[in-house]
Amino acid sequence: MSTRLNRLRELFRASKQYVRDSPPLKWTFRVLYWSPLYMAFVHYGYTIKYVNGRSMQPTLNPNSSLGKDLVLFDRVSTKIRHEYKRDDVVALYSPINPRLMLVKRIIALPGDIVKTLPPYPIKEVVIPPGHVWVEGDEPFHSEDSNWFGPVSQGLIESKLTHILLPWDRFGPLDGVFKRTPQRGRNWSAQSDEFQRKKKREVRVTPNPEE
Amino acid sequence: MSWRNSLIRHARRHTLTTLKLANFAFAIHFFAEYVAAIEYPSGPSMLPTISAEGELVLDNKLVCRLFPERLLRGDIVTFVSPLDPQRVVCKRILGLPGDTICVDPTGEKAPSTEHVIVPAGHFWVAGDNAAWSRDSRDYGPVPVALVKGRLVAKIWPLRNAAVFRNPSTCIS
Repeated sequence: MSTRLNRLRELFRASKQYVRDSPPLKWTFRVLYWSPLYMAFVHYGYTIKYVNGRSMQPTLNPNSSLGKDLVLFDRVSTKIRHEYKRDDVVALYSPINPRLMLVKRIIALPGDIVKTLPPYPIKEVVIPPGHVWVEGDEPFHSEDSNWFGPVSQGLIESKLTHILLPWDRFGPLDGVFKRTPQRGRNWSAQSDEFQRKKKREVRVTPNPEE
Repeated sequence: MSWRNSLIRHARRHTLTTLKLANFAFAIHFFAEYVAAIEYPSGPSMLPTISAEGELVLDNKLVCRLFPERLLRGDIVTFVSPLDPQRVVCKRILGLPGDTICVDPTGEKAPSTEHVIVPAGHFWVAGDNAAWSRDSRDYGPVPVALVKGRLVAKIWPLRNAAVFRNPSTCIS
């Protein structure tokens, strides 16, 4: 019995030495060994991803023929702090298809009253506790809460904070007003954004108990 | 010179130890999150299958991450509560997408004639202890993406240990 154990130990030592001697194997093992820390950073920290589709036009992918936007996803505020605000752009699992992720904007929080848009059967909805109302910025190409109703906050996976690429639109997603100049080409886009924001706010009656 | 060297060496060694500890802790955490975990359910909603406290159950997380369509009527699942994203609750699946469900046959929380069709990508869930359970009767169908795992077995106390077999026979 003990000889067999010894042989096993010997084999283990030999394989260890073999791994140590060949750099590619050594580095694979090293990467595998440290992968939990990397996963933790991805899960509870930040990632960079491309955003598909045109439901968030013109905030994201304003010209879909020019390619996709590279966006920074922040999970600290959703998975650790659990804070959700109106006008946040978030990524959430689709309530209809769990393998699909959607990027939408939070319109209303629990307790708010929302005036819905056409596909939804009821005119006004009170958001139940633990739920949010999400909509895309592009009302015609967006499958959002007007289709499937208020969604649970547990489905929200991360918050989109910064656009990284393309360079000319680099910057925080919620700070469109702050960073752009008063005049020029951006000015009209800015005022459009402002108009859309006003339009959203008109449809929502905030929770009186806040 | 020597004390500085030793200090640097100590610092380096302890940083590495801390990192390794964190690494190990996260490895366990992600195993529990994605593969399987032993959990301590509390609350009366699943009586008599799972008692209100003092039991440990084995939770299979892999199956619903990889194949959510393998969850069937009669499976006990854990999922993030739709009403409170920081709570995980445990209920039994009653209806799959496309099923027609009577919301509450007792007529307590909804008129007993009210029926709904479970939408695509949702489950209808209910606690075994219907009188003391907040489930789909209150918050409606639960999206599959909220489901975290399926309970496999009760492992503690040992004399009550049992594998949760799916009791449902389907006539469709």
